[in-house]
Amino acid sequence: MLEIRDLHVKFHTREREAVAGISLTIRDGEILGLVGESGSGKTVTAMSIAGLLPRKQCRLSGEILLGGKDLLHADRSELRKIHGNEIGVVFQEPMSSMDPLMKVGLQVGETLRIHTDNSPEERKKLVLAALDDVELPDPEAIYNKYPHELSGGMQQRAMIAAAIASRPKLLLLDEPTTALDVTVQAQILELLKKLNRTHGISMMFISHNLNVVRKLCKRVAIMQRGELVETGDTEKIFTDPQHPYTQRLISAIPTRTRKEPV
Amino acid sequence: MKYAAKRILLLLITMILVSFLAFLAFEIVAGDPAQTMLGTEATPERLEAVRQELGLDRPFIVRYFSWLTGFFSGNLGVSYNYKQPVWQLIAPKVENTLWVCFISFILICIISIPLGIWSYNWTNKIWDFFRTAFNQLCMAVPPFFTGILLSWVFGIVLKFFMPGRFPDLHKDFAGALRHMFFAAVCLSIPRIAMTIRMMRSTVIGEMEKAYVRTAISRGNDRKGVLVGHVLKNSLVPVVTFLGQTMAEIIGGSIVVEQVFGIPGLGRFLVASISNRDYPVVQAIVVILAFWVVIAGTVADLVNQAIDPRLRLGGSK
Amino acid sequence: MRIKRNGYLTAGLILTGIIVLMIIIGMFWTPYSPLTMSAKEKLQAPSLRHLMGTDNFGRDIFSRVLKGAGTTLTIAAATILIGSVCGTIVGALTGYFGGVVDDVLMRFNDALTAFPSILLALLVISLVGPGNKYNVILALGIVFIPSYARITRTAFASLRDANYITSARLMGASNARILLVHLLPNTVRILLPALTIGFNNAVLAEASMSFLGIGVTPPDASLGYMLSEAQGMFAAAPWYSICSGLVIILLVFGVGLIGEGLQRGEREVE
Repeated sequence: MLEIRDLHVKFHTREREAVAGISLTIRDGEILGLVGESGSGKTVTAMSIAGLLPRKQCRLSGEILLGGKDLLHADRSELRKIHGNEIGVVFQEPMSSMDPLMKVGLQVGETLRIHTDNSPEERKKLVLAALDDVELPDPEAIYNKYPHELSGGMQQRAMIAAAIASRPKLLLLDEPTTALDVTVQAQILELLKKLNRTHGISMMFISHNLNVVRKLCKRVAIMQRGELVETGDTEKIFTDPQHPYTQRLISAIPTRTRKEPV
Repeated sequence: MKYAAKRILLLLITMILVSFLAFLAFEIVAGDPAQTMLGTEATPERLEAVRQELGLDRPFIVRYFSWLTGFFSGNLGVSYNYKQPVWQLIAPKVENTLWVCFISFILICIISIPLGIWSYNWTNKIWDFFRTAFNQLCMAVPPFFTGILLSWVFGIVLKFFMPGRFPDLHKDFAGALRHMFFAAVCLSIPRIAMTIRMMRSTVIGEMEKAYVRTAISRGNDRKGVLVGHVLKNSLVPVVTFLGQTMAEIIGGSIVVEQVFGIPGLGRFLVASISNRDYPVVQAIVVILAFWVVIAGTVADLVNQAIDPRLRLGGSK
Repeated sequence: MRIKRNGYLTAGLILTGIIVLMIIIGMFWTPYSPLTMSAKEKLQAPSLRHLMGTDNFGRDIFSRVLKGAGTTLTIAAATILIGSVCGTIVGALTGYFGGVVDDVLMRFNDALTAFPSILLALLVISLVGPGNKYNVILALGIVFIPSYARITRTAFASLRDANYITSARLMGASNARILLVHLLPNTVRILLPALTIGFNNAVLAEASMSFLGIGVTPPDASLGYMLSEAQGMFAAAPWYSICSGLVIILLVFGVGLIGEGLQRGEREVE
């Protein structure tokens, strides 16, 4: 459903390319994990898919095809039609990613307001449904709250609701659980799995945490220094990593079951 | 609502404190009002009589409270210089000053807020230099200098108003308004420059925040981001700034009233300082101080209506 | 402290340099005596003989403006000296030691800075008595203390718990040493732009007060007083108002550009 072909991104202020020629596909209805340490180019990859890179400050080449359209070279008005409507994005810090002065319900309904001609009443109904989808208790009350009145986990749920409200084909999740507590993190992962199953939304899940990715994704891509080092079935990569970097990454995961060397 | 009540209580306390300090300061400096009124050759009996008449034989705190209550019942004592009740002298002048400040404030808002948002778009280096330099130039212009120029051009040459001959507000409202308009313009210029600058840097700062990226990712265009999200978020610091502007204007009005010959509080204050007419100075200083603290409170309350996060914190 | 050079800084320094140089020369030598009257040469337009013309007493306005600007400059300099030194001391001590004194002083400070400086200056002037150069300096100096105190306090309070200060303390440095050697130099970069703003406020406040006739009064002359004098004869000698006003504007403008340059230069270094 989404195909990246030989993507290069270079910021004018940096010597090295942030993304140095990666090719990757996201299949219909799958959750693809994109793993790498900070600075490996995984967020830049996601932002170039979402069309959120500052174009004046970087040089882009390659193609990103969504249903036959090249997102990388689309103009602003084309991108705006895709933003929120075909691609939803969830960012790392829910608190700072939400407009602090706008009621949660309005933020969740923003994509509907922009991309559909629904009446306000219809829109509200859809927003409440979306809030219900992300398992927020009492959507009617949440609708009228401000972001600071919610906990971090609830904020992130609201952000997910906002991203899926107008039923995009693809959801980009940029470390959505990194800023959250471990227990909340697990709940959000369950929620994402459920949304993937029930709505059939394809997702790209970016994380530096292999364990999280293992729980969620069938397929995973590993990035290092702007390059894709390994792509494949998650379980296969975990049990039989090919690339030395992947091997190091996996051996660095602390586990309770691993036997201590005698 | 709870916050608002707290804020208003704080305002009242501040007002009492400010008025107390002013009362105390003049009590120390002014010396014996009876002596001042009667001159050095007065007999001790006569002095004593006047003291009793003015109620100066009562303890300090009692006099303070009777002065404070006098403030709201219109009994502020008697001017040394004019031998008339202070309130009677001040009342018509309050109105003139308020008008000048009001016009000036409106000018500042309607000119600088749109320009501030618009100037956000100027990112070209050379334009930016000229814009900033022009801004600095406007801030450097003293209102009384613009006042001299404007009252010559629009007063003497074009005869829009008569410099030095201020019509009575109630008899010739339009004439008085014309007169005050130019005073307000002079007062506004440096402040407009400051507000634009402030507005611009606030909008630029907000544009870099994470929620802007979210808004773009939902399909907002540039205008949608600016109008739908950034402007409301930029408003809080701007409202605070406008509250300070309100305070600064009243300070600045002192000077432009002098240039344009508008009989307002500021001009009367200056004359009374020169004449050492302490009851008048004291009353005007406290009125102006009340004005300043009220402006701050109003700004806080407006901000609290804009930003729900401020409703939690109580004071500050 | 490193500051990247930029157009604002250069333009500001050149402009201010020229004006200040002329003012300093004017303190020692003026083309004519600023007080000598001449009935023959009254109300002359600017010419090579009288660069800025003459007033209704035939006094040379260029010489008067130089002298007046000298007074304005001296008062502004003295004012920010008082304000910044006292303010820095108060701000440094309360910021570094904190506690109840800090809380109370800063609340008081906040209240004071809410008031327009001209209003406070008028209040102080009415208490100490108007019409004297030293009282003007005193009034304005006092008025500017709180803003400097606040700026320094913020800087000191934020650095108080910085790691390098803690380690200096652990190594046995005294409070005095920490304050003077480790903290003070770090506040210079914050104080410097504040000084330019303070200077401009002082120039404008002094000019306003003298214009109102409660600042500097004859025989001393400052630009503000001269403008009030010039207003009366605007129709006959507009050059008097315009020249003395322009000197104020250029001085404040130049220093304003320096301030802008300092702030931008600093940002770019970061």
